[in-house]
Amino acid sequence: MIERDILVLGGGLVGAAIGYGLQKRGLRIAVLDEGDVAHRASRGNFGLVWVQSKGDGFPPYADWARHAADVWPDFCTELEQRVGFKIGYQKRGGFSLCFSEKDFAARANLIKRMHNQQGPKGYDCEMMERARVEKMMPAIGPDVVGASFCPHDGHVNPLLLLRALHTALGVDYFNEHRASAIRARRGGFEVDAGAAVFAAGRVVLAAGLGNLPLARMLGAELPIRPQRGQILVTERLPAFLDFPMSGVRQTVEGTVMLGSSREEVGYDNSIKTDVLKTITRNAVRAFPLLARARILRAWGALRVLAPDEHPIYQTLGDHAHAIVATCHSGVSLAGAHSETFAGYLAQGGLPAHFAPFHSRRFDVQAAA
Amino acid sequence: MSEPIDLAIIGAGPAGMAAAALAAGHGLDVVVYDENQAPGGQIYRGFEAVAADRAADLDFLGDSYRAGLAIAHAFRASRARYQPSTSVWLIQKDRTIGISHAGRARMVEARRILIATGAMERPVPIPGWTLPGVMTVGAAQTALKAAGLVPRGPVVLGGKGPLLYQLAAQYLGAGVTIAAILETGARPLAALPHLVQAWWRTDYLEKGLALLRQIKNAGVTIIKNVSGLRAIGDGKLDAVEYRCGGTVQRIAAPLLLLHEGVIANVQLTMAIPAAHRWDEAQRCWHPVVDEYGDTDLEGIAVAGDGAGIGGAEAAASMGRLAALAAVHALGKISDGEFREIGYDLQRERRRYLAGRPFLDALYPPPAVAAALADDTLVCRCEEVSAGEIRRAVALGCTGPNQTKSFTRAGMGPCQGRMCGLTVAEVIADRLDRPMAEVGYYRIRPPIKPLTVGELAGLE
Repeated sequence: MIERDILVLGGGLVGAAIGYGLQKRGLRIAVLDEGDVAHRASRGNFGLVWVQSKGDGFPPYADWARHAADVWPDFCTELEQRVGFKIGYQKRGGFSLCFSEKDFAARANLIKRMHNQQGPKGYDCEMMERARVEKMMPAIGPDVVGASFCPHDGHVNPLLLLRALHTALGVDYFNEHRASAIRARRGGFEVDAGAAVFAAGRVVLAAGLGNLPLARMLGAELPIRPQRGQILVTERLPAFLDFPMSGVRQTVEGTVMLGSSREEVGYDNSIKTDVLKTITRNAVRAFPLLARARILRAWGALRVLAPDEHPIYQTLGDHAHAIVATCHSGVSLAGAHSETFAGYLAQGGLPAHFAPFHSRRFDVQAAA
Repeated sequence: MSEPIDLAIIGAGPAGMAAAALAAGHGLDVVVYDENQAPGGQIYRGFEAVAADRAADLDFLGDSYRAGLAIAHAFRASRARYQPSTSVWLIQKDRTIGISHAGRARMVEARRILIATGAMERPVPIPGWTLPGVMTVGAAQTALKAAGLVPRGPVVLGGKGPLLYQLAAQYLGAGVTIAAILETGARPLAALPHLVQAWWRTDYLEKGLALLRQIKNAGVTIIKNVSGLRAIGDGKLDAVEYRCGGTVQRIAAPLLLLHEGVIANVQLTMAIPAAHRWDEAQRCWHPVVDEYGDTDLEGIAVAGDGAGIGGAEAAASMGRLAALAAVHALGKISDGEFREIGYDLQRERRRYLAGRPFLDALYPPPAVAAALADDTLVCRCEEVSAGEIRRAVALGCTGPNQTKSFTRAGMGPCQGRMCGLTVAEVIADRLDRPMAEVGYYRIRPPIKPLTVGELAGLE
């Protein structure tokens, strides 16, 4: 039996960031992870650290996403110093391109709505006409009519972020220790994982889609589902793009990632050529020079989505010491999970202002 | 997308050509997609041009090359449609195929697919193997067959296996100076028990012995039981260092050709993905196929060295078997005919394969992982060293996929072809686990070069 203060179930970006934050605060933890070929959103995602358009109609998430972007730079600096390598983080702001006047008007409408919603807290996102966009990104194609720009947006190499978190976790990271059973017992939980048994006063469920079966072990049902996104990555190109956007970003290494599809296909993470065609057409329309770039890989990955696409943070039913953290923005929220969320847990539990993130919000909507 | 093709064949080596000729002969609509400009595959590369323009070269290319001409001519004479310079970058389980030709990509559908993409050389990471002047034996032979290119300076050959001696003989025939053959641990004693079975292939053995005699008679230095091969040079190869009998030696040479045998090229079958199994004797992954080459995926078969190394003649037999199964599945022959022809082809194939256990035992794959120095590059594309792989294992990586995402090994343009086995071997060695458990990269399409523009304009 391996005894800890808190067990984090799931070693992807969400679990690893929370585990890292708890470890930094002196708690005895273990992060339990699945093996080499798990469904891993953390290994398949796009790498945006994103604020604009997050939390439309749900102010707590807009606030949380902005907070996450605010703490990212310090979180990153400390993590990089600790592990001794860079993780490719940049925060210069990010775009969302518009290809028609209608697009532009719809986007402007969203930005205005978000601005009004966030009020005095500041939203800082603005619409830019083509001329300004072109100044910042000379490679844009003739079809771009304008864009929204948010100075808080950024991007990172998500694989290096995961590696850095695992490096920092050190011996507290247990690979090939998938939690196969959770038992509530007096004063905490026992978890079977791999060939070992772990015990702790508290557990954090942070296993992405794996949270579904884990929550069931404690008698609860979580309203989350997989949503497939397909991504392509090109060969390394000379730097041409200083800003990321939903759908296109050039990494620090020079490769270009293309993506942003959404498909409801259950647990199927294969690729579909018609979707890849749409993604590449849009990319070439945005940046015509991409047409000549060689594609290195294409893959499908599964987002972890609640019905309203916002995160779920809560304790689980009768189990006040089983905490759920589930979201599809493990990259964007990594700093907040490590610096803030783990801090809440270290101080005792979720704060009152996190109540809106409870999945009971869907019961209310259903009743209304 | 237009009407599905009856049988789509990927690759025009012995398996692909033999399969196409048989299937077309039984009335199937057959299309052969080949990334080369002319049929022949690796082994019969450029046979038409050689026969037409460089007939004299046939003398040093040897009998086995000439034997392939019959298969090739039957293929050319058949009604199978041949699509040269066409790469297949995607195969999906529903038997849609992504192809690319002359900068345009399109999707085609097939009722049956036969993957006949053959073998590739086992990558041999040694210190300095990325220096200009270090190549593989296979690449050198391709240059010889395709363009009659031979090196000028003295050549050192390092490694083992039939192809290495074949090239040595071909080079001698073409007047190339061979400074030395550095043989890495052939094991004649271990191979002896398999000799009886191999006797069915006396032609094979005689051919091998004749090659060795020819090389010895030419006065080429052969140094046996060499280890610790190292390519030395500043910006280009100057010398080859090796260990033998407890001492370290050095030979000056501008060109080192490495070879440690060939392995199945499973990039395409892995990408679908079909089921694979670890083959301990050949130390590589093979698709799981039945005696007709059928994989676990409906209507998708593999024939030739891509299903396990068996050589050119066995590949042609297996190509015919797979084609026969397609002909039968599409109702062109009766169950009785299928059994009858199939029986003969099976017997022929078994005879061709009889020498294989002997060769596998004589030229065992090297156990590279433990001896790899930390600073030796494993992934050439992304320049990842063995030490970085070991550090990833220390970090908790237990398989090649987590290792890939943490180190970038396998993320470059070669799609992990050059490093996949080595990375897994290093992990297996570190964790003391069998390779079957460590697994392999999840191979992502496109597995052949494809541009963003081609995909955007997909037809």
